[in-house]
Amino acid sequence: MTLPEPVTTMAGPLRMDYTYVAGAGRSVFLRGLAGRRVLARRCPGCSRVYVPAPELCSRCLLPVGPPFELDGRGVVSTFCVVNFPFPGQAHEPPYVVAHIQLDGADTRLMHLVREVAPERVRIGMRVEPVWVPDAELTASAASIRHYRPVVPADA
Amino acid sequence: MSPRAEWRLAVPDGGLAGEGFSKVGRGMSSRAGWRLAVPDGGLAGEGFSKVGRGMSTALAVVGVGQSRQAKRREVTIGALVREAVDAALADAELGFADIDAVVLSKTPDLFDGVMNPELYLADAMGAVGLPVTRVFTGGSVGGHAAIFGAHLVAAGLARRVLVVAYSKESEGNFTWALSRGLPFSAHLGAGAGGHFAPVIREYIRRSRAPEHIGWQVAVNHRRNATRNPYAHIRRAGITLEEVRDSPMLWDPIRYLESCPSSDGSCAVVITGAELAERAPRPPAWIHGMAWRTETGHFAGRDEVNPRAGRDCAAEAYRQAGIADPAREIDVAELYIPYSWYEPMWLENVGLAEEHRGWRLVDDGRTAFGGDLPVNPSGGVLAGNPTGATGLLRFAEAALQVRGLAGEHQVDGARRAVGHAMGGASQFHALWVVGSEAPA
Amino acid sequence: MREVAVVSFAQSPCVPADREHDMAELVQPVIREALDAAGLDRDDVDFFASGSHDFFEGRTFSYIESLDAVGAWPPISESHVEMDAAWALAEAWTWLQLGEGDVALVYGIGRGSLAADLDQVMPAQLDPYLLAPLRPHRDALAGLQANAMVEAGLTSERHLAEVVVRCLGAATANPAAQRSGRVRVDDLLAKPYVASPLREHDVAPQGDAAAVVVLAAGPAARRPAGRPAWVRGLDHRMETHYPGVRDLTRAGSARMAAARAADQAGFSAAEAEVAELHTEYSHQEPLLVTALGLGGAEVNPSGGPLAGRPATATGLVRIGEAARRIMDGGAERAVAHATNGPALQHNLVCLLAADPA
Repeated sequence: MTLPEPVTTMAGPLRMDYTYVAGAGRSVFLRGLAGRRVLARRCPGCSRVYVPAPELCSRCLLPVGPPFELDGRGVVSTFCVVNFPFPGQAHEPPYVVAHIQLDGADTRLMHLVREVAPERVRIGMRVEPVWVPDAELTASAASIRHYRPVVPADA
Repeated sequence: MSPRAEWRLAVPDGGLAGEGFSKVGRGMSSRAGWRLAVPDGGLAGEGFSKVGRGMSTALAVVGVGQSRQAKRREVTIGALVREAVDAALADAELGFADIDAVVLSKTPDLFDGVMNPELYLADAMGAVGLPVTRVFTGGSVGGHAAIFGAHLVAAGLARRVLVVAYSKESEGNFTWALSRGLPFSAHLGAGAGGHFAPVIREYIRRSRAPEHIGWQVAVNHRRNATRNPYAHIRRAGITLEEVRDSPMLWDPIRYLESCPSSDGSCAVVITGAELAERAPRPPAWIHGMAWRTETGHFAGRDEVNPRAGRDCAAEAYRQAGIADPAREIDVAELYIPYSWYEPMWLENVGLAEEHRGWRLVDDGRTAFGGDLPVNPSGGVLAGNPTGATGLLRFAEAALQVRGLAGEHQVDGARRAVGHAMGGASQFHALWVVGSEAPA
Repeated sequence: MREVAVVSFAQSPCVPADREHDMAELVQPVIREALDAAGLDRDDVDFFASGSHDFFEGRTFSYIESLDAVGAWPPISESHVEMDAAWALAEAWTWLQLGEGDVALVYGIGRGSLAADLDQVMPAQLDPYLLAPLRPHRDALAGLQANAMVEAGLTSERHLAEVVVRCLGAATANPAAQRSGRVRVDDLLAKPYVASPLREHDVAPQGDAAAVVVLAAGPAARRPAGRPAWVRGLDHRMETHYPGVRDLTRAGSARMAAARAADQAGFSAAEAEVAELHTEYSHQEPLLVTALGLGGAEVNPSGGPLAGRPATATGLVRIGEAARRIMDGGAERAVAHATNGPALQHNLVCLLAADPA
């Protein structure tokens, strides 16, 4: 009798569905985005301005103050160019992912920088948010489609 | 971690330490609320003998085991773990009955879909009937696990601890697991490197390092890997030009400057002085060890040279009595997933001055033949089973000072650093090991 | 061993589904409450240890978010277990033995409600080759264990219902309980099975909560008002993974952990007046009462997990609740138990007393 072929692999598909809770602090920011506003909050302890803001400053552990609006513009603080394809990728490489220091904020926002050739992106470049059309605004960071240079000549 | 090296005297009510201590009685009883410490070892010697079990003694690694790092599709997770466990026990010439506790290190369970793997691995680790703890602190977990294992011995809760670490990311889809977009977020598709690349760019800007430094590190590590039979990626004859010309992944990180995703396991046996002295092969004595964490999201955080890393290293050196790490450390195994992290971590852990880490690379000092070889094993660029990577750094440092690193042995290595990092450079663990027992 | 005590315990109410707070927001007020009760400040804490698990949170590296509530700046000494936070307490207790510091803050966050269907999640705890493919539903192994208990004459369906009646009744005095009330045995017995002989009320209800225990050694243990609950013994042990190889009616690892803890403590669980047991299912109460050798202790005066099971915080809550009885002066000796894995594969026992030695 011939022995059966040994099993070498077995598929173990997993599917798990979860509810994601944004939390009180994040929700304030997200609702701001739904209203086409970039909301920041200041910690009364260290006076640092957070965007997006948690409910509590993680240094001082104090509740941060009420939200106020920023114009959303800022400066590229540092960045990288994503150059290769991988599964589940939303955009076609190459594309720039940057840490953006918003005017008026002490934290940096991570977002895409587009409408500019990747090799022309510079640290210190001034950028502004590009929003989705009003009808598509939702309580999501995707309401800002990407950032682009403020001065089109930089592009 | 040896009290003989570093004790601080604290006598709140002004009484004589010696007199008070003898009243306190057995163990490090805090009935009097004292932490007894005598720098010159005088009264300490006497007090120490009264303390007995429970007081920390010198600690050492007496067994190291690892599996081949690769895509290991021919073994089960349990078998992969068992390779390292068997090798560590064989190295220490011990059996499962000699182990008193097990600490398991592993990165997110989503990477391979096994939840609470300590449960499934009970038999593979020889853990039935033992206390088992599964630690997770991001990528530094292997280092945290080794340190916790040492704590169990120091606390008198175990005489020998088996610390086990593994990853079998080939079971899942690693990039997908890391890139799953959360609701409400912008789908940036940055991936792991996409997080670290901007930080690297900032280091380059601050230090004005020339662009070939990253390529040189990659060449050094990849050549080192050819001397390590366990390494995943071994590229003999690799040149600077090959690295420079490899595809750009996340500018400025190129393909040959990045770590792979590997399967692999590692295990170490840690014990106290009494049993270490009886070990069949030279122990690696733990001279200092520390971990530090900093929160990731506060304004003004410096991710290029994080304070948690500096504090962690400083504490370990303090315990080890090291005043000038760059001169007193012979070899370093650092958690370098992308080449540029070599100069960055050299600075962060005090082996180079700020903004000058890249010069050590440029001068050839961190290459295998240099005076401070970094990652003689090939390091993370040569193999990255994330749950094990931190423990591998700690274990490779131990192998160096034991003289057991085989082809990648650094001659005369007597003191080595093992280092691990996790999260967005938030979690740091580091130990200093030496060929001699701490003074 | 260095004398270590629980100096405070705080928890958020266990609720069926918290949709308002993220991890940091959930745990931060509990940390504040526990530190205030101990008369301590965040700067007094020398070591932080936590327990939570990605598969309950639904995100990789989820615990990192919780650190925002801890004040990890300047950098702190900290560690985390991807397990019930009772094991984080074990790690903190170990750390305090070293004499590097005197105060450890242990926190656990457990959110059982985020997973849409735990039947998708819980099989992942099993051997991925031999057991997980069978996809037993979340209570199947417990059902096998309960059935084995009944068949062996160690319990009965009526007894299980009595356990539930007692726990839910006790929980009416516990403001943190998710579920409580006066129910009747016959009404319970009339309900359908979910995994025979277990009925829905025999299964601890999943909920969301955070819990914090502050441990102290040295002078810090004696500073706060009120009396501390001294950790006199702590041990944990694991069994083999495969349910087919284990005697599911006995928790040998719990018995062993209890014996080791008793060696350290100088007294055993038989002498405890109060026992808080991590019973995810009602049948595990008679099983553990025997395994731990309880001698007439009041079991789960908080209501226990049958009144609310906040995932990876549940075991830590048991230790906190047991300690609370001592801190309140209601008991001199207590035992707390925590478990990890299906059908009591891995068990932790902690013996607490009003006396340090």
